[in-house]
Amino acid sequence: MNALEVRHLKKSFGKVKAVDDASFDVPEGAVFGLIGRNGAGKTTTIRMMMNIYAPDDGEVILRGSAVTEEFKQKVGYLPEERGLYKKMKVWDTLMFFAEVKGKSGKDIEKKANEYLKRFQLVDRKTSKIQDLSKGNQQKIQFIATILHDPEFLILDEPFSGLDPINTDLLRQIIIELKNQGKVIIFSTHLMDFAEKMCDHIAMIDNGKIILHGSLAEIKRKFGNRNVNITYDGNISFLKNNPIIESIQDFGNTTGITVREESQSQELLKLLLENNVTIRRFNANDISLHEIFVRLAGDQNAEVVNV
Amino acid sequence: MFNFRTLTIIKRELREKILSKTFILMTLLVPVFMFGILAFQTFLIAYNGENSATLLIISESSELTNSLRKDFGEMSLVKNGKYKIDFETESKSEIKNKIDGLKNKLLADKLTGVVFIPSTALKDKRIEYYSKNPGNNDLFQKIRGTINQALVDNYFNNKQLSKADIEYARDRVDFNGFRISSDKEVKQANDGATIISMVFSFILYFSLMFIGMMMMRSVVEEKNSKIVELLLSSVKAKELMTGKIIGTAVTGLLQMIIWISPLIVLISSSLFVIPAEYMPTLSIGQIFYFLLNYFVGLITFLGLFATVGAIFDNEQDAQSGIWPIMMLVMIPFFISISMLKNPDTLLANVTSLLPFSSIIVMPARMSLVEIPLWQFALSIVVNVATMLLIFPFAGKIYRVGILLTGKKPQWSEVFKWLKY
Repeated sequence: MNALEVRHLKKSFGKVKAVDDASFDVPEGAVFGLIGRNGAGKTTTIRMMMNIYAPDDGEVILRGSAVTEEFKQKVGYLPEERGLYKKMKVWDTLMFFAEVKGKSGKDIEKKANEYLKRFQLVDRKTSKIQDLSKGNQQKIQFIATILHDPEFLILDEPFSGLDPINTDLLRQIIIELKNQGKVIIFSTHLMDFAEKMCDHIAMIDNGKIILHGSLAEIKRKFGNRNVNITYDGNISFLKNNPIIESIQDFGNTTGITVREESQSQELLKLLLENNVTIRRFNANDISLHEIFVRLAGDQNAEVVNV
Repeated sequence: MFNFRTLTIIKRELREKILSKTFILMTLLVPVFMFGILAFQTFLIAYNGENSATLLIISESSELTNSLRKDFGEMSLVKNGKYKIDFETESKSEIKNKIDGLKNKLLADKLTGVVFIPSTALKDKRIEYYSKNPGNNDLFQKIRGTINQALVDNYFNNKQLSKADIEYARDRVDFNGFRISSDKEVKQANDGATIISMVFSFILYFSLMFIGMMMMRSVVEEKNSKIVELLLSSVKAKELMTGKIIGTAVTGLLQMIIWISPLIVLISSSLFVIPAEYMPTLSIGQIFYFLLNYFVGLITFLGLFATVGAIFDNEQDAQSGIWPIMMLVMIPFFISISMLKNPDTLLANVTSLLPFSSIIVMPARMSLVEIPLWQFALSIVVNVATMLLIFPFAGKIYRVGILLTGKKPQWSEVFKWLKY
């Protein structure tokens, strides 16, 4: 069952096609990553999903019917460029953002107090936002995002500009909400984060979705001729070997693609024979980063549907 | 358009604006400032009148000297001691010596001046004045009438005229203005109308500028601090704009009601009594028109100020981009000030019915002359129509602009946004 279905979304600004016929599904209960480099069209896609931008064409379907303005009430949104009213007090800020989502009253006040206590900000209730440190402002922003108990959490580049403590805090929040069965959608250009946290992804490049589906299946599909190794020594002898299709060095690990799936054992033998010390050998494994470089490196890449 | 989201925005705006120090200060200071200016003017005029003088009036005939002494004795300035006047009779040939003898006193300001009335003045009314400050018009103004009276009395004394004839001859022509209106009685025009017209022009101008700039700054702040994206994840751009404008307009209306409440009390009750010549001739209906006109105008201008705020992402750019809107407030203000001389020019008639300008010109005009009912109706219709026409465009530019940051957009680009 899909919670959200994005169908043929298009958006142009003047001559620039920011999003060009984007389609993908976000399943119920998923942690979904919208992945792509800066300027690929992630934020525009997210804004269209939330009805902040009206798409030129296409639609977003929420559990079977087109999204309406009411969808916004079900969403907690953390934009990439975060901001709060500087002169507003902490408590008033939280109540205001809950109220525009249609939530107010004792329950929300109780929850706000709980969150403030948990984030050690309970004594700052009457402080103005501008008097808080940047880290504490971010915490208030998190609380404002989730206070109204949203069914969907949409995070645009959530980890950019966060200090390590807040990065961890946000990760905890995401996991908690995931465990409560909420749908979490985030956009990022950080492949490592996406790989660690997502179970479904859509990859976007130049406004086009070039890949989407479950992360496990994508990795299986792309990983079947791929070997991921960590080693000491020299592997330059592999360069002209007929069984090797490509070699990519990622620093810590190296991704090697062989011509046929069965040749991975041959590759291992070859490495040992040439006195390369193997620390890790992962056949049929591929990082999201490799997939991205492979697909986005090629401008004519076709949409791969898994 | 009006739902709990808009309402929440309105509530926030009201709270932020009404409780802000600037708002409270302005609400209190503007009336103080206006009354201050009026009081200062009155004070200046009164101060002028306070000037005292010491004079010596010399005539060539003792008969004239006596009648001068008698007439000046009845002058209030002499009675209350402000003017000290001595009278002497000298012949023309002695004057030069007399003045020489008084030179030191004149230079030391112990004597303000010497007035010499030669016997020829009985025919041609030419008299001489000797002083350190021989062009003292204020003083001439005050003593001219009394000297004239003495000369006229003297002239007609031997001509067998009744006292009434003399009285008539020496009276000056006095203009009393009457305002013609459709009312049954013909009311005497007064300074109150001019003052009210000035006050209306000023507070409308000031309020539209002040509240408008406040609106623009608030939109720029939301855009600049990136809070707007968060807001738009909860409300529509239209709801946000509507909420902000209504919240701010209600704030403005409240301020305006506070500003003109003394006027309302003045014309609707007899709690305060002011001299009839300052009593404004306004009806409650006109006050109501004033407030309605202001509210519609404010909403229109707030839409424009908010739109300009949405185009720019910092205050400096916005300040320099706002001038076309400011012209729409300033030009009508200057027209309505120029109207004080003659409220019935073609310019005043036309601009009081045009979009934007009628918001300031009409209220200023209505306190000066009688305005036909259809013109009030037309100006309201024009203003409401302007407001309704502007908002689809303003809303569109606002919606697109509010999320665009980066380089300062050209006006040509802004027009392209209308197609997005």
